[in-house]
Amino acid sequence: MVPDPQRRLAGMARRTALIVGADDPADSIASGLADAGWVVLRIDDDDLMWDDHTIAAAFPDLDGLDLVVHARYPAASRRRGALMDLTDDDWRIRADEPFEATIRLARSAHPYLAGSAGTIVFLVPLMASAGGEGFAPMATAAEGARLLAKSLAKTWGHDHIRAHAITLDPSAFLAPDEAAGMAEANSLHDPPLGRVPDLSTEVAPIVNALTTDDFTSLLGASLVVDGGLWMPG
Amino acid sequence: MSATPTPPSPPVAGLLEGRVAIITGAGQGVGEGIADSMAQAGASVIIAARRAETGEPVAERIRNEGGNAAFVKCDVTVRADVDNAVDVAIERFGRLDVMVHNAVSPPGVPRPLQEIDDQTILLQIGTSTTASFYCAQAAFPHLKNDYGSLILLTSPAGIEGSGNLPLYGAIKGAQRGLLKSLAREWGPEGVRVNAIAPVAWTPAMDVATAANPTLEARLRGRTPLQRIGDPTADIGPVAVFLASPLSRHMTGQTLAVDGGRYLGL
Repeated sequence: MVPDPQRRLAGMARRTALIVGADDPADSIASGLADAGWVVLRIDDDDLMWDDHTIAAAFPDLDGLDLVVHARYPAASRRRGALMDLTDDDWRIRADEPFEATIRLARSAHPYLAGSAGTIVFLVPLMASAGGEGFAPMATAAEGARLLAKSLAKTWGHDHIRAHAITLDPSAFLAPDEAAGMAEANSLHDPPLGRVPDLSTEVAPIVNALTTDDFTSLLGASLVVDGGLWMPG
Repeated sequence: MSATPTPPSPPVAGLLEGRVAIITGAGQGVGEGIADSMAQAGASVIIAARRAETGEPVAERIRNEGGNAAFVKCDVTVRADVDNAVDVAIERFGRLDVMVHNAVSPPGVPRPLQEIDDQTILLQIGTSTTASFYCAQAAFPHLKNDYGSLILLTSPAGIEGSGNLPLYGAIKGAQRGLLKSLAREWGPEGVRVNAIAPVAWTPAMDVATAANPTLEARLRGRTPLQRIGDPTADIGPVAVFLASPLSRHMTGQTLAVDGGRYLGL
């Protein structure tokens, strides 16, 4: 199915997005998208065991999605902890279950996105691709999500589904003191802009842009939207 | 296509003299190749494999060739098995310097994510991320004694994604997230954490090329060196390098050992 520009411009002025995840960055992205005119649906129970029926159970009448944003990182995974101090349950709760839920979310979102030539965006913390002392479980789940985006883009392009990942500054996910240390560990300079981007007014518009017909040829992108704090090679 | 020029195997003798390594999934394929190379480099090796019928012959062959090797039955998804492999290394050889986590659940036939069942997802996560955690935790107390090294086997799919094997691309990427964080965490202790992303002849590659007769030619055609790696001659020496002092200033890195197929960096 080829995306129909008229559908986007006329009949679908109110497109529908599902934001998965509690707290920020999910909250602010949801707010920014709502301000841009999206109908925003939320599943914000990060402890929910995701299955193929989770979306249908939450929204029984839903027949399609134009956008899915994944930002689901349980509170436990956002806490610092040395790997040697983690129990097997800690690892399961902080790494394996969130990663598994990410995969299940993508799998269950496919029919909703395929029907609307939709877009799925995974929001990941900088630690995923740059490493983060004390955040190995979160980095594991998040880098898995980033690579899932690339893999889905290659597979689901045939279904006119676009998949991307956006890397955000640690402050988008962590408490301020934790985030400051992480940014310092990953960069020798302050953000060239003098600040990291505001999630609702500067990141949400990028998410929005990725869904537009201007970006139909962009697939599997790993964008780093952090104000220039980290510039990967 | 004419035969591709292949240089002789690099000499590794002595690079790991006196060191002790555990290699998971060493009963065949890349794991066996790494065990061979490490033994040739002078290391005593623990052949950690799920099945004795593949692991024991590898250990026996290495011993017959003059190396030090012992087989340990090890299902990497079972914490006690991984702990036992470390215990055996200490009991048999007195120390542990290198942990190579290579074992992986076969990625299976190409299929889109929406057709992959729960059991496959759990198995892939179990052998990759959970098992990496087990291997890392079990080995670290020994690795930190003398500048040890943790090596994870990932894949080019974990760098660039995979359209044929989307789940495999994700789990191999997840391992890279772990290694980079651990490199930061363990660097101050002198322990290095790196990864290898190989393309090599393995039993899984044999299955894939048998199922898709054009795969080998396509893969060679897209590889600058125009051949698929040999586990012992091409992949093993890179693992020796990462385990040896030659790479003492490298950590948190993924080396694509694939004949130049991935050139994205």
